[in-house]
Amino acid sequence: MRDVVIIGAGPAGLSAAIACREWDLSVLIIDEFPKPGGRLLGQLHQEPDGEWWNGIKEAGKLLNHATELGADIRCGVSAHHIEKADNGFKVHTDAGVFDAEQLLIATGAAESAAPIPGWTLPGVMSIGAAQVMTNVHRVRVGERGIVVGVNVLSAAIARELDLAGTELHSMVLPAKNPVTKHYGDPGEVMDGLARIAHMAPSRILRFGSILARAGWVRRLAVRLYPKRGVKVWGIPVHIRKAALKINGRDRVESVTVCNIDPAGKPIEGSERTIPVDFVCIAGGLYPLAELAAVAGCPFRYIEELGGHVPVHNERMETPIDGLYVAGNITGIESAKVAAAQGRLAGLSIVRHRAKDKAGLGQRIDEAMRHVTAIREQATIQFHPEVDKGRSKMENIFKEYRKAT
Amino acid sequence: MIICRCEEVTLEDIRDTFHTYKCSAREVKLRTRAGMGYCGGRTCRPAVDAVLEEVTGEKPGDDLPLKVQPPVRPVSLSVLGGDGDHA
Repeated sequence: MRDVVIIGAGPAGLSAAIACREWDLSVLIIDEFPKPGGRLLGQLHQEPDGEWWNGIKEAGKLLNHATELGADIRCGVSAHHIEKADNGFKVHTDAGVFDAEQLLIATGAAESAAPIPGWTLPGVMSIGAAQVMTNVHRVRVGERGIVVGVNVLSAAIARELDLAGTELHSMVLPAKNPVTKHYGDPGEVMDGLARIAHMAPSRILRFGSILARAGWVRRLAVRLYPKRGVKVWGIPVHIRKAALKINGRDRVESVTVCNIDPAGKPIEGSERTIPVDFVCIAGGLYPLAELAAVAGCPFRYIEELGGHVPVHNERMETPIDGLYVAGNITGIESAKVAAAQGRLAGLSIVRHRAKDKAGLGQRIDEAMRHVTAIREQATIQFHPEVDKGRSKMENIFKEYRKAT
Repeated sequence: MIICRCEEVTLEDIRDTFHTYKCSAREVKLRTRAGMGYCGGRTCRPAVDAVLEEVTGEKPGDDLPLKVQPPVRPVSLSVLGGDGDHA
């Protein structure tokens, strides 16, 4: 029996392990990916102050620290079930069953598929897959591609592909269907673009982002959006063009793109075929919470946090005794926020477990303030009202506690 | 257009099933097997949820729309049928 098992060796899981080891708890971290670091491994971008954020280096720092402190890290191990036991949890994995007195689920996020006809052809991948292939496995995803779906994540990864020398024809929206109705709506996408404009070396977008806070300006910007697109890092970004279908016999050969009206409706007769050999589809992220669900944790739907999230408080505790969550499973935010949440979760676990609790309350308060401060400084925001989502969850937890 | 790759269920299959049986989201899933293939819905779950939300008109509630069942990852029978040896 270990004091703590942590599922997920990303920024949240590794940071939590470091905190637990500092207080001498026995810690096992498992991760289904062959390398530790989680989504940090794919990240490479320039911050507004000009500094580069190299996720591989950041992951290395956390990993070294956790290893020096003696955390047991096992990669390539998948957890498929969690059972509550009398004095903790049984974590079922493909490498056997691990007993844990306390359990932290830090499984991060998964990508939503945004299907358009032809999306099952070889050569079509999610934008995150293109990132992992390029930055982690160092494999070129293709000769010339197109990105379908314009959002914070796809814009950042498009730039990474560009830096790696992969040619991107453009970024366009997916044609609207029941699944892509939000990602295919130019108005909603403009909202998102306005939020990342501070990162873009484009005067139009920067200026636009200040103006676009007013709804009427946004609507005007959608109506007047340039036909040739707006170039972001040299890549034309189109919000008035949509990919209707992906064509090819055995693999991707081309994409049919058309113009769309401000509501996202295709304009007949404007179809054009663009030869490409790969397509990246960006459907956004949602909290990967299956393990919390099978462990019996209650959920709430909070749009600002990315969908269904396990009920938890600001100390990362769930209503299930001994079960904690941290990182993107609690809401889609940056890796820096995930790391801060991980440290906080680690300290909460220590407080629950350690015999010597001197000074812990103060440290937890500090860690909570740190999460808020990092959130306020975040340069990449996946949802503009993430704060609102976080306070909704705090109230939900209080009500849940009162009711049970 | 295919929604669930593992079970090759199309958008039309899901719509037709709902209109034929006027049934719940869960029943549509059971009848079409959308989201019940090898990947356990890991690829298509949000897409299946979105399609079912539109055809049934059910707004997302607090519970996960379609129940999550273990195993949540593809595992071999020998792993599931093992003697529960502790690692």
